Amino acid sequence: MSLLHIKDLRLGFKTLAGQVDVLHGIDLDIAAGEKIALVGESGSGKSVTARIVLGLLQETRTARINGTVQFDGQDINSMSARDRATLRGTEMSIIFQDPTSSLNPMFTIGNQFTEVLRRRDPKLSKADSHVRATTLLDEVAIPDPARVLRAYPFQLSGGMNQRVMIAMALANKPKLLLADEPGTALDVSVQAQTLTLMRDMVVQNGTSVLFISHNLGVVREFADRIYVIYRGNIVEDGPTDALFANPQHAYTRALMSAVPRITGVGIPEVPEVSDDFLAPRISHGDAL
Amino acid sequence: MIRTLRILAANPLSLLGLTLVILITLAAIFAPWIAPFPTHNGAVVDFLNNNRPPSSHNWMGTDLVGRDIFSRILFAYQISLTLGVVVLAIAVPIGTMIGLLAGYIGGWLEMVLMRIVDVFLSIPPLVLAIAMMGVLEPTLTNAMLAVTAMWWPWYARLVYSIARGEREEGYVLAAEVIGAGAGHIAFREILPNCLPAIITKMTLDMGFVIIIASSLSFLGLGVQPPTADLGSMVAEGARYLPDSWWLTVFPGLAILVAVFGFNLLGDGLRDVLGVDE
Amino acid sequence: MTLLALNGLTKTFETPTGPVHAVSDVSLNVQAGECLAIVGESGSGKTTIANMILGILAATSGEIAFDRQTLSAKRSAKQRRRIQLVQQNPLTSLNPKRSIGASVRLGLDVYDIGKKSGRWTAVEAALDAVGLPGNMRTRAPASLSGGQRQRVSIARALACDPRLLVLDEPTSALDVLVQARVLLLLNDLRAKHGLTYIFITHDLAVVRNVADRVAVFQSGQLVELGETSQIFSAPKAAYTRQLIGAVPVVDAAELNLRNKLAEGV
Repeated sequence: MSLLHIKDLRLGFKTLAGQVDVLHGIDLDIAAGEKIALVGESGSGKSVTARIVLGLLQETRTARINGTVQFDGQDINSMSARDRATLRGTEMSIIFQDPTSSLNPMFTIGNQFTEVLRRRDPKLSKADSHVRATTLLDEVAIPDPARVLRAYPFQLSGGMNQRVMIAMALANKPKLLLADEPGTALDVSVQAQTLTLMRDMVVQNGTSVLFISHNLGVVREFADRIYVIYRGNIVEDGPTDALFANPQHAYTRALMSAVPRITGVGIPEVPEVSDDFLAPRISHGDAL
Repeated sequence: MIRTLRILAANPLSLLGLTLVILITLAAIFAPWIAPFPTHNGAVVDFLNNNRPPSSHNWMGTDLVGRDIFSRILFAYQISLTLGVVVLAIAVPIGTMIGLLAGYIGGWLEMVLMRIVDVFLSIPPLVLAIAMMGVLEPTLTNAMLAVTAMWWPWYARLVYSIARGEREEGYVLAAEVIGAGAGHIAFREILPNCLPAIITKMTLDMGFVIIIASSLSFLGLGVQPPTADLGSMVAEGARYLPDSWWLTVFPGLAILVAVFGFNLLGDGLRDVLGVDE
Repeated sequence: MTLLALNGLTKTFETPTGPVHAVSDVSLNVQAGECLAIVGESGSGKTTIANMILGILAATSGEIAFDRQTLSAKRSAKQRRRIQLVQQNPLTSLNPKRSIGASVRLGLDVYDIGKKSGRWTAVEAALDAVGLPGNMRTRAPASLSGGQRQRVSIARALACDPRLLVLDEPTSALDVLVQARVLLLLNDLRAKHGLTYIFITHDLAVVRNVADRVAVFQSGQLVELGETSQIFSAPKAAYTRQLIGAVPVVDAAELNLRNKLAEGV
């Protein structure tokens, strides 16, 4: 049974001008320990999908959500807001694009760790939390954890903050980690290191990952399976190797050919929009 | 514009504000025609009918010399709104210009201008107005002058803080690289981005100007009798409370309604225009 | 011929924690008609160099010569005209309270290009040249997509009739399909108008496909300068190899190349 099972997920927003439909029936599954990438451009609906999984969009008055979103056997959409909130930070966590602005500038890293750890263990003492946080920071290869715990986010580099975020996100050993364009705000070499670290940690902990990105290259090195999303529809999905070796949907092919190559083959003429992109979904089946 | 009105109308509070402001404005404009006793704005006496409580003949009663209070309130609105409009029409451009130049050009100009602004802001507004009126003759014109003098610095500071932020934006850099002059950048690029905040503040300020003006005339420093003015009407009737309550309560309510209306409208505009201070 | 020459260009910032050497003794020439990529990570000094070239930041020492004329940060509008900028952020680089036509028209008005009565027509032609319908000129930036806004920025820069275009991460904020179209547009425009580009970016894969030469910067210093094909076949500096090694790759051929070039890092 999947850890995360999304079936026919539809999302619309009620506006003054009527209902605007954003997701038109998303199907997506993540098994325990699997690393899944959801790849799409801006406006594709990838970020709102993550918010629905986290249970954040259900409380928005103008949001109309239909379909099944099951996490660990429980239906997210029909849960109470409080139950959804309990899952966040414990069974499910998220890391964001810009680490420095996602951390609270008013509190030290140590304080923020305490807050995170207390989600699982409300009676945790500050001393114990310090010890646990130090261990976690060690795991993300941060030298001198004591100094980092005393520091404020603005005093640390982007790369350091990203590692802190990863450590915090995995602190409570969640079953599912969502990563929304992680590392895009970082330099390329730092991003590469950070993603390698993230991959190692999730594999070590057996955490499932939903990795949201627009960058095919980054995704190729991280994910086991990929879902390509275009304008609120999944257009192609399959194991990473199969998808990259043989992309079939017109949109996936356009995306792949448009990524600049260091082999210098030039920039191809690809359309920004095309009716071919609206072709039905192609599924590459399961990995071996 | 239409879209702004539609969004305003969707919110009950700002709709109320808009309605009140429209009613007051119409009342002020059409006072000579809708007032039951249009002549009562001036030096009219009717001692047979004086100090009467509200009745079907005089909806808000009559004052000490027999004039209809309702009619006088309508004419008083003319004074209040005129004062508000004139004060803002002078204070806003002056304050905006100073704030804009100080904010964009910076350097010693910024220092000099903002210190002048600080000096004005450090004097309690009413005190400044009273001091000026002590020197000048108490007329409507001089009252407007006094209130204007204390009003422009607030706009200077508001526009200054916005301009300082906007000058770091990409579009300002783009204009600088293209070679546009400081005048163009300040007035054609930055100023339009200050307008939502300025307009919102102007609407809220109408209410405050009315209060300040009423305070001045309450102290006898504003418009002189026999012209109808909300503040002096409140002052006249104050010593007859609580017996002849209508002498004070109705003009007081009239001030309240005006301020309330403009405040609600201003708050609504702030939401619509997306202004955060 | 050399269009832009940087000679010993240095910029040091005095901060409360001591001097920061943002740019140290940089010398290079930009040839007319070429696309020179300036590559580096944060702290490399690439933005500081761009700001000095554009005349919005004064150099601490060193010289900038454009068309053999020395330029300082205090330059006349006439001197500004021929060096224009396309910024990274499509949204903030356009005035939200002005129509895109008004933004594009600015250069025409500042430099009195063409007759006043014909300027709106010229604006429409400028939008057309970047692939946007001319009748869009009354639209506000907020109603446009990121790619469209970036095209407007390009049109605005070209309206001044420049010779050198500084492009500061022009496609970094764009989706991959949109980026491809904008890069193609930039290539076309360069060929058509005989422009020279200084293309600043952190994205080496883009560099490989648009630049003639590459200048690699680290901590304010020029680390390597060479023809693109040479940098991507036999990079000399260890830092260059490190940067190449970190590029996310999409196909097997790239993977092989990357592994080969990043060897020994």
